[in-house]
Amino acid sequence: MNEDVITFDANVFSLDTIKRALYRFTDKGTFDIQVKDNIISVQVQFKAPDDWASKIKNEVLDQDLRDTLSKETTNIRTLILANAFSNTGLID
Amino acid sequence: MSLLGKRFKLIEDFDQSTEGSYELLPARFAVLDDSRYILSNDVGEFLVISRTQLSDYIKKKVSRHSDFYFDLKSKSFLIDADSNVAIDLLALKYRTKAQQISRFTALHLFVVTLRCDYTCQYCQVSRQTDDKNAYDMSEETANKALDLVFKSPSPAIKIEFQGGEPLLNFKLIQYIVATAKEINLVHHKDLQFVITTNLSLLNDEVLAFCIEHNICLSTSLDGPENLHNANRPRPKQNGYQLTVDGIKKAQLVLGNDKIGALMTTTEKSLPNVKSIIDTYLENNLNCIFLRPLSPYGFAVKTKQAYKYDVDRWFEFYKEGLDYVLEINKQGFKFVELYTELIINKLFSPFSTGYVDLQSPSGAGISAIVYNYDGDVYASDEARMLAEMEDTKFRLGNVHTDSYEDIILSDVLLDTLEASLSESIPMCTDCGFLPYCGTDPIYHYATQGDVVGNKALSGFCSKNMKIFRHVISLLEDDPEARKILLSWVRT
Repeated sequence: MNEDVITFDANVFSLDTIKRALYRFTDKGTFDIQVKDNIISVQVQFKAPDDWASKIKNEVLDQDLRDTLSKETTNIRTLILANAFSNTGLID
Repeated sequence: MSLLGKRFKLIEDFDQSTEGSYELLPARFAVLDDSRYILSNDVGEFLVISRTQLSDYIKKKVSRHSDFYFDLKSKSFLIDADSNVAIDLLALKYRTKAQQISRFTALHLFVVTLRCDYTCQYCQVSRQTDDKNAYDMSEETANKALDLVFKSPSPAIKIEFQGGEPLLNFKLIQYIVATAKEINLVHHKDLQFVITTNLSLLNDEVLAFCIEHNICLSTSLDGPENLHNANRPRPKQNGYQLTVDGIKKAQLVLGNDKIGALMTTTEKSLPNVKSIIDTYLENNLNCIFLRPLSPYGFAVKTKQAYKYDVDRWFEFYKEGLDYVLEINKQGFKFVELYTELIINKLFSPFSTGYVDLQSPSGAGISAIVYNYDGDVYASDEARMLAEMEDTKFRLGNVHTDSYEDIILSDVLLDTLEASLSESIPMCTDCGFLPYCGTDPIYHYATQGDVVGNKALSGFCSKNMKIFRHVISLLEDDPEARKILLSWVRT
């Protein structure tokens, strides 16, 4: 088992963003997340050796962008869907 | 100022947008390869971009004078003060894509018998018996099932006869076709029939019946003789010969477009993709569907489904697609059907109707199965699972349950709710979502959960690999792009 600890500044990345990123690696290993003094520590155990720390950090950056995109477009997505299904009897 | 400029204002004069003032529209992204991402939206428009471009787009740093800005705007990834027409366009395209859901179940599978003259290792359902009463559908059951068929609001109804070997119960097929046509005199639906058969019982009577009722045939052809006979053993080891003879006969009598073939990939198939495709070409078939083995029924019991993994299957698919493209480059149109589905999802606003690549899943609402004993299943895979004594996806029985009981059953509604990709972890923000689906029955069969963890999912892994490969071909190989775009249905 390959072990490592990766840390993130909670002022920069949300816990949700980090969880979403880690979920994508659940086929590769297991994770133990702890938060203390604004530092999010992830203890990782991987099944096979690789440069997992870099890969996880890159995925966290992607998830952070996804979070921005999602938050900013939630209302407009609802508007588009309401428009798409107007006059279908599916929505009031 | 040019002469043109004196008479007409410049483009910039009409541009009301200002730097950094655009608004993001809903989008998702996924890694394509080491240096590129695919950015897509709910209706399937996409762009292949770099990490820097992705970051600039989301942080609203894209220069409004750049080509990238106009690409984003024309594909409805942003709106600005100049135009917000994208919102109406996206709504219209979304509605077009979703239209199929309102039409409801179009494909109705009738399992007219479980009896079969083959002994395929991976087959989930067949029975070797002469006892017609035990595994044949009765007229009474067929009548009840037909009542349900015509309750579907779909304007087009396709009845597909499955088995076992359905021609072992040809009399019931004749009865169902005649009865369905009679009922349809009232309903006026676009009614079509397909018989899925190994062709060993194809004779002049069957062919004449197919001509009379415009019935299509679908058969199984796994590749060259040794491979086909190894995958699909028949007591006399003459399955291949009977199949290719049947294909020729059907092509001659019914026409080339009335007979199609499907193949199943077993471990023995993996090193032989070119000779499998050659067999299709030799038999005047103009397409092939490179399918992996499903993890259901006897395929699991005999451990056939686990003998190769997704990576090995993907190599098989990739080699096959390369070969198919090579054939096309030589001037012969030959299509790989799974790739064709994806190409159509990438470039057409219309739904492909392919059950496995839909959100919500097509189980029950795009296709429904009436088993020989009257049991109703959400899909053929659900029926296969039931053969392993797991009836989780049994929706009811035609003798005891009404259409409303079946379609509004908790089993179906819970399954559909769990199959909305938009709300599934990992799918929800995946750039491939508009082209993908989530197969709840596959995930139940492999992970014991209809949603499943997509990081562990062979379905997800297989489809991501295929999407990345097909999109990379479109981006990097102009000749392949031209061929693939010719597969878009218009």
